[in-house]
Amino acid sequence: MTRALTWIGLALFLLLILVPFWWIASMSFKTYEQIQFATSIYVPRPFTWENYTGLWTETRFPLWLRNSVVTALVVTLITTVVASLGGYAVARLRFPGREGVASLILILYLIPPALLFIPLYRVLAELGATNHLAALFLSYPTFTVPFCTWLLIGFFKALPEELEEAALIDGAGRVTAFARVLLPLAAPGLVASAIFAFTLSWNEFLYALVFIQDETRITVPVGLNLLIYGDVFHWGQLMAASVITTIPVVALYVFIHRWMTEGLVAGSVKG
Amino acid sequence: MSSRPRRRFGARSRETGTALLFLLPLFVLVVGLIFYPFYRAVWLSLTDKLVGYPERFVGLRNYIYVANDDAFHQVVWNSLVFTVVSVALKVVTGLAMALVLSGVIRGRNFFRGLFLLPWITSTVIIALTWRWMFDAFPGRGFLNSFLLDLGLLSQPIAFMATPAGAMAAVIIANWWRAFPFFGVSFLAGMASIPRELYEAASVDGAGANRRFWHITLPGLKHVMIVTTLLSFILTINDFNIIYVMTRGGPGSATQVFSTYAYQVAFGQLRWGRGVTISIFVVPLLVIGIILISRYLLRDRR
Repeated sequence: MTRALTWIGLALFLLLILVPFWWIASMSFKTYEQIQFATSIYVPRPFTWENYTGLWTETRFPLWLRNSVVTALVVTLITTVVASLGGYAVARLRFPGREGVASLILILYLIPPALLFIPLYRVLAELGATNHLAALFLSYPTFTVPFCTWLLIGFFKALPEELEEAALIDGAGRVTAFARVLLPLAAPGLVASAIFAFTLSWNEFLYALVFIQDETRITVPVGLNLLIYGDVFHWGQLMAASVITTIPVVALYVFIHRWMTEGLVAGSVKG
Repeated sequence: MSSRPRRRFGARSRETGTALLFLLPLFVLVVGLIFYPFYRAVWLSLTDKLVGYPERFVGLRNYIYVANDDAFHQVVWNSLVFTVVSVALKVVTGLAMALVLSGVIRGRNFFRGLFLLPWITSTVIIALTWRWMFDAFPGRGFLNSFLLDLGLLSQPIAFMATPAGAMAAVIIANWWRAFPFFGVSFLAGMASIPRELYEAASVDGAGANRRFWHITLPGLKHVMIVTTLLSFILTINDFNIIYVMTRGGPGSATQVFSTYAYQVAFGQLRWGRGVTISIFVVPLLVIGIILISRYLLRDRR
């Protein structure tokens, strides 16, 4: 009885998760006519790559992809440096106000980007950064850094303290101990945190939409939105773009998924 | 022996110095790009700033205007419907997903990973996906194609053309993206419930049903509160799904806080008023953040 229920439930959830993904993927392999006249609805027959080649040669997608990659890499780098230093300080150093800093980081992580986009636009405009990828390099860390710092605090706390103490007794300063002993040990945590920073930047939409207008400087999510509301009705290309954009994130995620599913929820499960 | 305390004190203050050094980039970022913009937001909300004109201090006029604005009342109502229905669906579906996965022995990690795919996919792509799922044209819209095929429909339906249909569509997209997160969190919560409780209950003759209501559900209370609060904060501030799927329409049927603030600030170019709309969410946010930090910070210690 319960076994049967489990299998039925599993099948239903599989359909619920996979049907929408499959619908997009299958449309990306259909011709314009197949989509327009609703032929070969469930499986693309004939199967065509024309949307992918068209996307590459007829639209600005390659440029948007480049902008997205550059932004995500720069933001990941900034985030990893700032968050690992801050996370280490909160996890391992004793200083007045340490608990306060920890609470502050959590609170900042919970502030939604939708709250600050208007004043941030003004601040970035005064810095001359709007309409430039620099606007994203500056604004994305406002959400990636609190999140990654919070993750890394937990990670640094979990590392054995003895190793660092041994280095300190050997005469190394805190900075050397951090760089030589803790950072290498924390590598898995740093990789996970970097992947989160990358994914958050890669998927971000609101700031990219508001801070950049020049069509050659936008990122992929904003570009996708242009493809629908523009005059172009290339459904297939839009689907192909969605598939291409999803692949890197899924690939990274396969890499850390075990850690992620445990790490993401650990905070809400303990206690 | 007398030099010892002094040395420890020296080490202490040196440690504070190192901590300041390490935290400096974080502080610069937080002060420059979060606190300062927030201060600017509060200031802007007290002015009648219109793009292209200098700002003039108007006191609380924006707040009074927004509080009495019928369009804003609709926005508050839409935001609450969107958030409450979506979060409630996520809790129920997440619970079902966790129960199903806890019954799967072989390949549980695989399915758990697979089910999380919507959670890691870009919300813009999720929004586009559901736009096509509900599209009025059979070739693009899965639901229309499927229902026509089954013979349940004779004519394609424009699902998102009615206010209720559009609201249902954005709720479904938001729910679909986030329920796997609830499912995975609840599954982890279930794993931390001591097995002995279940064994003792079975010995006492409690059936699966009673074990669920009396052991599983109370055992998940903590995880449920935290995930629900977290999702509440994220959902009430959702911009991407609504903007991409409906732009707040038809009419203003799906206009919520963030899309309305965007429309007023960047469509009508009234920045003072736009910021005021965002600030109206702050009290709700503060309550959510206080509750959630109490739970999460307690865990950390």
